[in-house]
Amino acid sequence: MAKPETPNAEQLMSAYLDAELGADEEKELQQMLAGSPEAKAELGKLQSMLRLVKGLGEVEAPPDFYEKVAKKIRRRKWLRGEYLVALSLPFQILSVLVILLVAVIYMMLHLDFDAGRRKLERDPTVQQTKAPPPVAPDGGAAQ
Amino acid sequence: MTDPERAPSAEELAAVVVPDEPEPPAPPPETLTPEQREEAARRAEQDRRDRQLVRRLKQGDEAAFRELVHTYQNRIFGLMLRMIGNRQEAEDLAQEVFIIVYRAIGNYRGEGRFYTWLYRVATNTCKNRIKYLKGRNFHRTEDIDETPQAQMPAAEGGAVVTFQSQVPGPEAMHEGARMESIVQRELAALDPDHRLLIVLRDVQGMSYQDIIKITGLQEGTLKSRLHRARLALKERLEPYLR
Repeated sequence: MAKPETPNAEQLMSAYLDAELGADEEKELQQMLAGSPEAKAELGKLQSMLRLVKGLGEVEAPPDFYEKVAKKIRRRKWLRGEYLVALSLPFQILSVLVILLVAVIYMMLHLDFDAGRRKLERDPTVQQTKAPPPVAPDGGAAQ
Repeated sequence: MTDPERAPSAEELAAVVVPDEPEPPAPPPETLTPEQREEAARRAEQDRRDRQLVRRLKQGDEAAFRELVHTYQNRIFGLMLRMIGNRQEAEDLAQEVFIIVYRAIGNYRGEGRFYTWLYRVATNTCKNRIKYLKGRNFHRTEDIDETPQAQMPAAEGGAVVTFQSQVPGPEAMHEGARMESIVQRELAALDPDHRLLIVLRDVQGMSYQDIIKITGLQEGTLKSRLHRARLALKERLEPYLR
């Protein structure tokens, strides 16, 4: 590849290809091209190359692109166990409630028994205290 | 190809997800040409829409994610296809980019444009995959334009072959497809850094400011590297240039 003589030829050509040349720079480039057929040929080839590259244009992702992304995200969440944590929480709460319920039923069923499985008797003194004293028909206390 | 079910690890995620940086202040409108003003308005509208979608996505709104994917899927898929040159691999990679975005959206602080942050994620993911494929001696088994899909209209899941539309006539269709195949092949033979710049600037038509944001290069370095990339591609396409 022949090297153009102007020291900033590279920048000038690059800016020209990007359509970013100012008026003064454009003039400088034209002077350079007039004095250097190699530079002119080089610039021409660069322009042709760019036309080909820009012709590549845009491509479109497959129509089901998002669905595939969402599917992968869901699958990875499963693999990481994120769904399992969310799923297991209600079961954990339910287990605790069932244990509490069983404990309450057990306690209620065994309330009338002591540790030796003997049925507990009512305390007679409690009964006495609570019962009202019998009243004699003549108004005096019963003997 | 990597295992599609394997989720990227936290380290892999950190390698491709970079924090967004604040945008420089926009130039005053009176210094812009009417076309530039129109472009700036379109860009501002797109950014406003993206910010809303990102905010909804952060709140767990799946519909916002769907809208973001639909907005950018063609551009990201196009970038991957031009970088990798294989449809299946490009599709897989583009999907990977959106999965990373979904997982790492919390890392996007909203200080810069979502568009450039997405492209940074995409280019980092692409570079990593190119390294991975190189390490595994990946060779394209199918050229993109030899696949039946590439010959189909876009609406049916195929590529839009714009070369065909440049030259009228039925016999020109074959020639157009052949030329696209050649350009894609020579593009794929370039150094990945050069390839990326050509794809961003000359294929996707991005502004230098956006490419600077995406690649992190200085303006001077970017321009001179792009010029070298164009020269390298010109050398490779020399036999086909008229």
